[in-house]
Amino acid sequence: MLTINNLVKHRGAQEILSGISFKARPGRVTGFLGPNGAGKSSTLRILLGLDRATSGSALINGKTFAELHNPLVTVGAALDGFGAHRMRTGRAHLRWIARASGLSRSRVEEVLEIVGLTNVAGKRVGSYSLGMGRRLGMAAALLGDPKILVLDEPVNGLDPEGIRWIRTFLRERAESGNTVLLSSHLMGELEETVDDVVIINHGKIVANGTLKEVIGNHSTLEGAFFALTSKNAGDVV
Amino acid sequence: MSVSSSRKITLILGAELEKLVTLPLVWLTLMGTFILNIVLAAAFISAGLQGAAGTQSILKIGLASMGYLQAGFIILGILATCSEYTGGQIRTTLTTIPWRGFQLSTKHLALAIVTIPMAFIIAASGVLYAFIMMRDTALVIEIDAIIKILVGATGYLTLTTLLSAAIGVLLRRTTPALVVLLGHYFIVSPLLRDFLPGIKNYFPDTAGYYMYMPPSSDDINVLTPMQGTGVLMLWTLIFITVAIVSYRKRDA
Amino acid sequence: MRAFNAELSKLFSLPGIWLAFLIGAFSPAVIAALDSTAQKEKIIAGVSTRLSEVGYIGLGLGVQGVIILGVLAVSSEYLTESSESGGGNQITTSLTVVSSRFHFLLAKASAVTVISILLSIVAILTTVSATNLILGEYAPAFEASRLIGAVCYWIFTALLAFGITVLTKNGIIPLAVLMINSSVVTVSYLLAKVTKLAFYLPDKAGVDMFMFTSDSFHTPFTGGLIMFAWVAVLFIVAAIVFHRRDVTS
Repeated sequence: MLTINNLVKHRGAQEILSGISFKARPGRVTGFLGPNGAGKSSTLRILLGLDRATSGSALINGKTFAELHNPLVTVGAALDGFGAHRMRTGRAHLRWIARASGLSRSRVEEVLEIVGLTNVAGKRVGSYSLGMGRRLGMAAALLGDPKILVLDEPVNGLDPEGIRWIRTFLRERAESGNTVLLSSHLMGELEETVDDVVIINHGKIVANGTLKEVIGNHSTLEGAFFALTSKNAGDVV
Repeated sequence: MSVSSSRKITLILGAELEKLVTLPLVWLTLMGTFILNIVLAAAFISAGLQGAAGTQSILKIGLASMGYLQAGFIILGILATCSEYTGGQIRTTLTTIPWRGFQLSTKHLALAIVTIPMAFIIAASGVLYAFIMMRDTALVIEIDAIIKILVGATGYLTLTTLLSAAIGVLLRRTTPALVVLLGHYFIVSPLLRDFLPGIKNYFPDTAGYYMYMPPSSDDINVLTPMQGTGVLMLWTLIFITVAIVSYRKRDA
Repeated sequence: MRAFNAELSKLFSLPGIWLAFLIGAFSPAVIAALDSTAQKEKIIAGVSTRLSEVGYIGLGLGVQGVIILGVLAVSSEYLTESSESGGGNQITTSLTVVSSRFHFLLAKASAVTVISILLSIVAILTTVSATNLILGEYAPAFEASRLIGAVCYWIFTALLAFGITVLTKNGIIPLAVLMINSSVVTVSYLLAKVTKLAFYLPDKAGVDMFMFTSDSFHTPFTGGLIMFAWVAVLFIVAAIVFHRRDVTS
C-alpha cells in the first residue's frame, strides 16, 4: 500500500505541493490525474526517493523508498523518458538493472517477452520509437515482479494494441492483489482501467475516492475532471 | 541497511561494472587513447633519436606522452558519470539503487577497476615501444625502476579518472566538465607553473607528476613519489566526498 | 538573411555561450598580463628575446573561447543531455524551418564568424589594455596587420571547431582536441619537431599570421592561406556529409 501524508514541497519561492494526502490500496488500480504542472510528477518523484519533500511523508508499506530492502522487487516504476542511455542496447540496459537487484538474466528475457520487445532488444535505445521506449521502461519496472507498480503516463506513445495490452495487464495485476498507481491524461482509457481516482490541481487534492464517487453526477470522468479543475478553490468530493 | 550488506555491494558493483562495460563510448575512448599514445610515442621517439645517442632516457621518452594521455582518461571519467544524465537514466538508477552514497562510491570503485588495467597497458605500451626502438642508443635501466614508474603512472591516470568522474557528478553535463578539467590541466596549470613556481606542489596534476617522472637533477622543490601520490589522493578524495554529499542532498 | 538572424538569436540564447564569451574576452588579457609580468624586467633591460610575442601570446592561447563557441553552435542542435529528454533533437526543428541544409549550415557558420569577430575585437582591446597597463611605456606597439592576423586566426579556429562538430555531432572530440592543441602543450608543436609536414597543420600555420617567433615557418600571408584552405576543405566535407545523412542516425 502507498501512503502519501501531508506532502509539502517548495522549490525556491514556489510551493509546488501543499499538503497532499491519499492512499493507493492493494488489489485496486488508482488513477492520478491533474492538469500539467499540477504536481503529479513531483509527488511520484518524492514517493520514489528522487526528490526531497519539504515536509510530510510518502511511504511504501510503511517505509520510505530508501529503507526498502530490495526496491525493484517491491516497487516497479516507469517514469517519463526512456530512462536508458541512448547508446546502450535494450537488453544491456535491462541486464544491469537485473544484476543490481540480484535477478537472473533469464528474467530479462521473460520481461522482454511480456512487453513484446524481444526483436529489438539487441538494438540501441537511441533507435527506439517512443512506444518502444515506453515498453522498455515498463519492462524495467516489471523485472522484479513487484507488488506495487508506479507508472507515469504508461499509455503515452503506445499503438492501439499496446494500449489494450496495458489496460488488460494492469487490471490483471490489480485483481491478483497488487497495487497499481498510474498517472495519465487519457480520460477515456482511465475510465476503463481504474478503480480509485485522485485528482490534483495546483498542488492540492481536489478529488479522492472511487471512480463512481468522483464521477458523481457528471456523465463521464472527463466531465468531472473539468468541473473540478476549472474552479480554483478545490471542491473535494 | 541489513545483514546482507556485503551481498548488496557485490550486486551494485556488478551492475556498475556492467554499465561501464556495455557503454560503447568507454571502449571508444580507451581505444582512441591507446592509438594516440602509440602515435605520440612514435613522435617523441623519433625526436629523441635525433638527439645525442646514449643520453636519452627510455623512461622519459616512453612516458613523455602522459601529458596528453591524461586527456583521454579525463574524458573517460567524465563520460562514466555524465552518461547517467542522458535520457533520464539517473532516474532508473536511483529507483533501483536508492542508497545514493553507496551507489556513487561503488560507481567510482567500478571505474577504478576498469581503469587500472587499461592505464597500465597503455602506459606500458608506450615504454615498451620506446624500449624496442631505442634499445641500442639509450641509457641502460633496470627492470624494477620501470615497474615502479609504471605503477606510478597507472596510479596517476586512475586517480585522475576518478577525480574527473567526481567533477562530472557535480556538473552533470559533459561540456562544462570538459571545459573545466581540460582548461585546468592544459591551460591554467601550465601557465601557473611557469609564473608561480611555488604552486607546483599543491595542484593535483603537478603533484601527481612526481608519481611517475623519475627525478632529474635540476628539479627543485621536488616531492617524492609517495608525497605526490598523497597530494593527488587527497584532491581526489575531497572531490569525491563533495560529489557524494551533493548527490545525496539534491533532487535527482 | 532570416536564417542568419535566427542562428544569431539561437546562439545568443544558449547558456553555455556566456562561458565562451567570458573566456574569450578575458583569458587572453589574463594570459598576456601574466606573460608581461614575467617578462617585465627583461623588457625594461632591453634583453628580452620574446618581445615580439608580448601580448600576442594571449591571443594565441586565449582562442579557447571561440573554440567553445564553434562547438556549442553545432552540438546544441544535437544535445540531449538532461534528465528530461524525450528526444531533444533541436536539429529536426531547425531543418524544418530552413529551405535547404546548405543554407542552414552557411547561416550558422556566418553567425559563428560574426560573433568570433566581435569576440576577438573585445579580446584585443582587453589584451592591449592589460599589456599597456603592466609594461607602461615599454609596451611594444600593436601593429594593425598583426592584429588582423589574430582576428583571422580566431575566425578560422572557430570555423574549424564548427566543421569538426558537424561531422562528429558530439562536442567531446572537437573540444578535447582543439582545447589541448591550443594550449601551452600543443601537439602540433611536438609534431613539428619530427616532420616538416607538421608546419602545414592549420593551427601551426595559422599562428604565423601574428606571432613571429624563432620557429616561424611561413609568412603571415601564406600561413593565413594554409589555414583558410583547411577551413574551406573541412567545411565542404562537412556540408556534403551533413547534406546526405539522415537526421536521426
